[in-house]
Amino acid sequence: MKRILPVLFAIPCLSASLATVDESGFQKLIAAHKGKVVLYDFWATWCDSCRAELPPLVQLANKLRPQGFELVTISADEPEQAADARKVLKQIAFTGPAYRKQAVNDENFINSIDKSWSGALPALFLYDKAGHKVRSYIGETDIKALEAAVRKLL
Amino acid sequence: MKYGLTVLLALLTNILCAQEFKIGSQVADLHVQDLDGKPVAFSTLRGPVTVLMFLSTQCPVSNGYNQRMIALFNEYSPKSVKFVFLNANQNESPAEVASHAKRVGFPFPVYKDANNVVADRFGAQVTPEALVIDQSGVVQYHGAIDDSQNEARIRTRGLRMALDAVLAGKPVEVSQTKAFGCTIKRVRKNT
Repeated sequence: MKRILPVLFAIPCLSASLATVDESGFQKLIAAHKGKVVLYDFWATWCDSCRAELPPLVQLANKLRPQGFELVTISADEPEQAADARKVLKQIAFTGPAYRKQAVNDENFINSIDKSWSGALPALFLYDKAGHKVRSYIGETDIKALEAAVRKLL
Repeated sequence: MKYGLTVLLALLTNILCAQEFKIGSQVADLHVQDLDGKPVAFSTLRGPVTVLMFLSTQCPVSNGYNQRMIALFNEYSPKSVKFVFLNANQNESPAEVASHAKRVGFPFPVYKDANNVVADRFGAQVTPEALVIDQSGVVQYHGAIDDSQNEARIRTRGLRMALDAVLAGKPVEVSQTKAFGCTIKRVRKNT
């Protein structure tokens, strides 16, 4: 039982509030998802475009998960907005990995993912099965074009 | 031929829309619009030191900084700093900007950036986002007001540090930070 408990808490989709991820945590996430094509979605409750983009992204994830695709959501909300972020994900029935960004140094975090990224949301980062970043999508994204890019990697 | 022309037009658009005023760039004259739609030359709004601030009426992050913007304006205006508050969001009308400013109690005018021309030239991406232009008209800082929406968690006040350095005639140690907030709602351009 003692061994099972920490594992349960480590699964972000089961935790009551969103698990946090910092710079090193993000690198661990990439390593842990090797073997899958992964889309990291940086979003926030206050970002209208992000919220509008979430349902089609979840649909895409549900459709392509059996083929080895994973959507990982990372909220850029402040700690006091974490419950709202959780609520948004629940409303759209997202059951995949969900985190909240809590960087030690936000500049370093952003630069470590993509130096050309200003930090503006929404921001999507597509990684291939080897854990290499293939493409960044900053701002509103054409989901059909995104799906085509994902399918190419699967 | 048609394809070649499209590519050329796209390239030209990219060049024309590319960020022009980076850190160290001399700012050329620009025009903004007052809330009656009249063009106002940026040169008439600038001071010895100028803060150009992109803000929004609807963005919760930008609105979370309203009081900090007022505090900065009140503190630095007597130190010969001029502020130009600019709304570049194409989905926020001049009337909306006026009523928002009245509701919040801004002690300063807010201008519109029609077709986000100014935002494009400075490469502004989000609201709030700030720039500091020094006495020589050179961009010395571009980025966030500070590093946290929640005032209790602020660790770095990038804008203040840049302003203090410029006013003291010292080099700005951190001239660029990542501004966070809502993306500027730009006009769709045909490329």
